[in-house]
Amino acid sequence: MRSLTRGNVKTAIASVRSAKWRSLLTMMGIIIGIVSVVTVVSIGEGVKRQVVSQMNHLGKDLITVRPGQLVNRDEKGTITGVNLFSGYTTTGALSDKDVSSIQKTKGVKLAVPLSIVTGGIDVDGKTYNNASIIGTTPQLPEALKQKIAYGDFFNDSDENQNGAIIGKSVATGIFDDDIPLGRSFEFHGEEFIVRGVFEPFKNATLSLDTDFNNAIFIPYPVAQELTENKAAIYEVLAQPNDPDQANTVAAAIKDNVKSNHGNQEDFTVLKQGESLSVTSNILNLLTRLIGGIAAISLLVGGIGIMNVMLVSVTERMHEIGIRKAIGATSRQIRNQFLIEATVLSVAGGVIGVIISLVINVMLRIFTDIEPVISWQVVALAAGVSLVVGIIFGTAPALKAARKDPIEALRHE
Amino acid sequence: MSVIELQDVSKLYGFGDAANVALDEVSLSIEQGEFVAVMGPSGSGKSTLMNIIGLLDRPSHGSYNLNGRKVARLRPNQAAKYRRDTIGFIFQSFNLLPRLMALENVALPLAYKGVGLTRRTRLASDMLARVGLQHREYYYPWQLSGGQRQCVAIARALVNDPALIIADEPTGNLDSAGSRLVMELLSELHKSGHTILFVTHNPELTRYASRVVYMHDGTIIHDEKTKIGEVAQAVRRAMYNVSRTTVEDDLAGVSALMNAVPSHDNASTALASKPRKKTSKRRGKK
Repeated sequence: MRSLTRGNVKTAIASVRSAKWRSLLTMMGIIIGIVSVVTVVSIGEGVKRQVVSQMNHLGKDLITVRPGQLVNRDEKGTITGVNLFSGYTTTGALSDKDVSSIQKTKGVKLAVPLSIVTGGIDVDGKTYNNASIIGTTPQLPEALKQKIAYGDFFNDSDENQNGAIIGKSVATGIFDDDIPLGRSFEFHGEEFIVRGVFEPFKNATLSLDTDFNNAIFIPYPVAQELTENKAAIYEVLAQPNDPDQANTVAAAIKDNVKSNHGNQEDFTVLKQGESLSVTSNILNLLTRLIGGIAAISLLVGGIGIMNVMLVSVTERMHEIGIRKAIGATSRQIRNQFLIEATVLSVAGGVIGVIISLVINVMLRIFTDIEPVISWQVVALAAGVSLVVGIIFGTAPALKAARKDPIEALRHE
Repeated sequence: MSVIELQDVSKLYGFGDAANVALDEVSLSIEQGEFVAVMGPSGSGKSTLMNIIGLLDRPSHGSYNLNGRKVARLRPNQAAKYRRDTIGFIFQSFNLLPRLMALENVALPLAYKGVGLTRRTRLASDMLARVGLQHREYYYPWQLSGGQRQCVAIARALVNDPALIIADEPTGNLDSAGSRLVMELLSELHKSGHTILFVTHNPELTRYASRVVYMHDGTIIHDEKTKIGEVAQAVRRAMYNVSRTTVEDDLAGVSALMNAVPSHDNASTALASKPRKKTSKRRGKK
């Protein structure tokens, strides 16, 4: 029986190859479906790994406070859902008062506000709008556990001077210089001197966080002065004294800020782990969405295979007649055509995986995304194409198997 | 022992007024080792009879014993297994699978039986050697001459060591050299004890047969044992008496030979009235 199967596979490959264009077009649906599934899942997987490594870098104890209600929680505090769109629009702002109450909360070692200042910068007469300007306090490197590669960060004593620390991408992108220390730029009419460059941040692409590599950090008081106290705090980072107490500290911060806001919870306190779960929630949603589209493509591909197999059965009616006359049972004929449909769809799956690998390499070369193709995804792709072949090959195979041998022999 | 035992076998197509009787209560018994030629005009029921004997079709009525087993009411899958194990088919148009090499074609029935690859390749190779094609094992059908293709088909029919070989106009698509090759081979098989049943329109070929059966309108109208090497009596009479078929006869697919079949009064009178002419080269049209 096994040797017959081998013969069937050989026959199937020969028949697929004898009509190359038709086979390729037939496989197209499967190929597109597999490519989209594998690529989407591998991007999701890659981003998740980046997030995890970022989290390990920052430490699990980092607490972030953001305006707006980003997540829904049940009574136990577990996140039950993410407000993808309303979360960012719900009004609610963090003020200096909130920052100081977070700072004063029991168990908090340090609290660092991050405020966004809008506007572009002028370097040597050219304007750049693509970098984020963030006003912050001297404790930021400590909170993020991030080292300064060149120069130094501002400290409590020069907090009111126009100094700036920049991320790696800003250095190379705007100043076109790995170490642009001492260079100056103009922002809101004032001149700033670059005094430090951060080491590259391990930022997770597609995560909720701002890309710090593409940011310019200026002292918080200066930012407030420039904008006449209108710079909105978009995030406050807090570090507890004792990492094990992170949960208690987060709860205390929440209560303090809530009392500042008239007992209204129009802000979100997230521990680093939860930040990750927010990211992965969004990723899962995206993956499911595109996965659904890919599933439709696989369905269409399967119908294509069924169609071509039906044509093939009619074309090869005479062959079916010969095989039946010399003693093939209906079951053996059915298996032959079933195997042929499966070979077609599995070949599509293999080509799809190969194309995905190429896309994977391309993404790594040309973008910051680092997709990871795991063996599970490849196994899934192979399994799905196998199942599609079997499901959509069954009807044509049964048609071939049920054919009356005399009628089939008469067919030329 | 009888290999084939047909008792009042009928085959009807259609229903009621439109019913068409393809076989009308045919009884036929074929012994082990016989080499039977079946003759008759198109539409006389030869093919239907071959299909029923070959288990490709089921009779509407009557009983059929093959090798002592009742096979008239087999289900399609059982019939397939019987075909595989006890019947070898040889067709007019060879019916080899074009994408398989000669060796693979011959090995196919063994594959369906579940014989392993090594063993079935060896058996198929032996069988090809037996039909004189040991040097053509790896040729595809389109690389072989017509006669060679038919020999491959014969090897395929033989490979399962069948009790019965059915050949439906085995020389119909061959030139005289090919015909000779194929008929000599069948004759050899007959000598080595195989039971062979073949349909032909060529009266010369009855020389090879040990028995000739004539069919007309779904019944057997004449059945005679012949000596090997001699043309059957009825055929010989036809050959020397019959003039020629008219264009209309040819168009209608009726060969001169069939007009000559004895025991039908109108046929014999028709023969007598026509001038003599050889018809040995003439082959019936389908």
